[in-house]
Amino acid sequence: MTAHWGVALAVLAIAVLVLWAPRVARRTDGGADHAVIHTALLVIALFTDTGPAALVAMAVSGGFHASTAWRVAPTAALGFGLSAASTGIAALALWWGDGVTAFVASLLAVALRAGLVPFHAGVARLCERAPWLQSQQLATLVGLGVAHLRFVDQVPLAFQWSAVVVMYGAAMTLIPALMALVQRDLRGFYRSASMMHGGMIVAAIGAAGRGHSTVALMVLVTIAMAMGGLGLMLEALEERVGPVTLDGRGGRVQAFPRLAAAFLVFGGAGVAMPGTAGFIADDLLLHALWEESVSATLTVILGSAILAVATLMTYSKVFLGRAVPSLAPDLGTRERWVAVLLVFVLVWLGIVPATLLEPADPFLRALGDPAAH
Amino acid sequence: MPESITLALAAAVLAPMAAALVVGARVLLAGSLPGERFVRTVMGWGLSLSALGAVATLALWRGWLGPAVSGDIEYGSWLRIGSYVIPAVARVDDLAVALSMLGAWLTWLVARFSGTYLHKEPGFTRFFVLLGFFAAGVQLVAYAGALDLFFAGWELIGISSALFIGFFHERDEPMRSSVRAFATYRLCDAGFLMAMVSVHEVLGSTRFTVLGLANTLPVWETTTIAALFFVAAMGKSALLPFSGWLPRAMEGPTPSSALFYGGISVHMGLFLLLRIWPMLDAAPAVELAGVIIGSATAVYAAAVARIHPDAKGALAHATLAQVGLIAAEICLGLTTLAMVHIASHAMLRVFQYLRAPNAIHDAHRLGHAPHPVHAEGVLPSRFEARSYLAALHRLRLEDRLDALVAPVVWLARGLDWLDVRLRQALSTERDAR
Repeated sequence: MTAHWGVALAVLAIAVLVLWAPRVARRTDGGADHAVIHTALLVIALFTDTGPAALVAMAVSGGFHASTAWRVAPTAALGFGLSAASTGIAALALWWGDGVTAFVASLLAVALRAGLVPFHAGVARLCERAPWLQSQQLATLVGLGVAHLRFVDQVPLAFQWSAVVVMYGAAMTLIPALMALVQRDLRGFYRSASMMHGGMIVAAIGAAGRGHSTVALMVLVTIAMAMGGLGLMLEALEERVGPVTLDGRGGRVQAFPRLAAAFLVFGGAGVAMPGTAGFIADDLLLHALWEESVSATLTVILGSAILAVATLMTYSKVFLGRAVPSLAPDLGTRERWVAVLLVFVLVWLGIVPATLLEPADPFLRALGDPAAH
Repeated sequence: MPESITLALAAAVLAPMAAALVVGARVLLAGSLPGERFVRTVMGWGLSLSALGAVATLALWRGWLGPAVSGDIEYGSWLRIGSYVIPAVARVDDLAVALSMLGAWLTWLVARFSGTYLHKEPGFTRFFVLLGFFAAGVQLVAYAGALDLFFAGWELIGISSALFIGFFHERDEPMRSSVRAFATYRLCDAGFLMAMVSVHEVLGSTRFTVLGLANTLPVWETTTIAALFFVAAMGKSALLPFSGWLPRAMEGPTPSSALFYGGISVHMGLFLLLRIWPMLDAAPAVELAGVIIGSATAVYAAAVARIHPDAKGALAHATLAQVGLIAAEICLGLTTLAMVHIASHAMLRVFQYLRAPNAIHDAHRLGHAPHPVHAEGVLPSRFEARSYLAALHRLRLEDRLDALVAPVVWLARGLDWLDVRLRQALSTERDAR
């Protein structure tokens, strides 16, 4: 019980940080109620010992995301609605003892929320229309992912489908990574990068079917922080300079040096920069994938390398070049503190990953043992 | 004295990283950018501590301060998940100490030089933060006792190298060169990652010590793994056919060119080959390929260096010629000679690069000395002419690599086009507006 609560508390802290980051940084008047509700639902999902309760909490959370997204991106709202419905079905199936249906429905819910191609229309639209909401939904995706790992992933089907899920997830990292190379605006890059990470999340969930749940947990929290932070920086920049195209060099680094630095760290963490959690997550994922398929491992390595090149290209086009003066200020105090906190946790988990993973591992491993139930 | 060596190693690796993080945190948190004095002081302390850590490690390894310490120094595990362990282990041996001393002191000297050279340069803070990450990366590579740690340092060097090339980002060319160098690094690093995971799976650990068991593996396995490592080394050390990024890397500031492409970074691929020597030694086909590639790189670079019109470009190719020779030496099994060659070559080149701006100035002031022509007419004139043209165009390496990459870009555009159509079809009518 103690181990579970410790792990749940650590994951909750990270998820809450990502969840509240847009609210704190943007100082928006609305949205606080939803953040409170999502926090409460995350507490239920992470701390309960009852699978259906955790999944119902995440289904409700998905429903709230759908309602928030409806105003700005109806396609995303439909995607989240489907994900919420699928999570609800998983909860019902689990309650009835139908592990197979629960697994399939829960996996579909994760795929819809992660933005796995071809279930990515909703997430892609959200990345284009409201990156801050994408940051928030990534936070609750951690809750959904953990609920999947804890309560659903122990059915034999998870083991049997592991190879297929891993292969498919890995393949879907390469396609969006290639697309990221040819984007013409910043939101297009963010969309492609998010889709690429959706593939990584699903590949990691697939590997969890063979006992690599800790790897999946690390991948989930890392991507939530890295892509959540990147979305926030994107929005912060666009609030200052309007829509950002990648046609020439933006020359914004002198006007916004802190924003540029934070963008680089979040982007780097998403592509396994050493010293950040992304490096550990990638390293663990590759070792886990190798056990399933050498070609999946190679695919993810290439996807990550290509996205890294795309990230540097995007950074150089957005921020570097002949200096363009701006009257808009660099990151404000609240934005800066949010960025620093996220960077701190990313760096902390990159240097001392054992803080989260070593307590989490025996707990998640015990779930796979039938004797534990 | 295990505590002393632990502290010395920690200082060598962590001090420059900590200094860079302090300056970086100051940039992110404070209302204004830090002054040059603050940056110089903090980074000076970090790099000095690192250099002292390297000296202390040398003293402890040689036994000057008590019983000699060598081999694996255990720090426990970086991460332990079930049976999977990322060991936090440092390796103290002749290779490690040599690279650490070379890296720490050359970085310290270049930092001292740059404090004046880059005075009032807009990117002063950025330069020193990157230098801190680079220094930490070099020390990590030097002392890493396992492939995972080595790769972390390797990547730090790669990222800082790319950002240094694009340092003068007001111009377009440095940015393009930066992305090109980074793309070469990352794609070649795919070889490193595959090799690292393979080593873990077939030998049960990523510690360098287990590479001693390489000769117990089937030849096809050792050949594959050694070839993958060699690909990574080719990218980092600009061996043929990945040589195109090196002359472009001269777009960066002179001190970073000296440190990276004269001194340390360009030799990192060679250091990797020395580190994985037992694996390489068990793969004769890769050794043979290494001798051929190294020699070909040396001939190519020597030819280009002789006709290159600018000083730094000529120096880059002169450096590459030696790098090619060292690669061939390693693959011939002359590992001690190779390490001596690396150290002496690095020191000479750092001096030459740092002096390059003055040399250009002197040449303008004093005039060019006539270039002696050796062995003219020894080779058939047609061959000479063709060699000259090939060297002038640098074998059109970049064009050839671009031609290979072009279909990938077309594929990416096609996939993007399909994705747009797919998402339009899946979007609600209201959203599509």
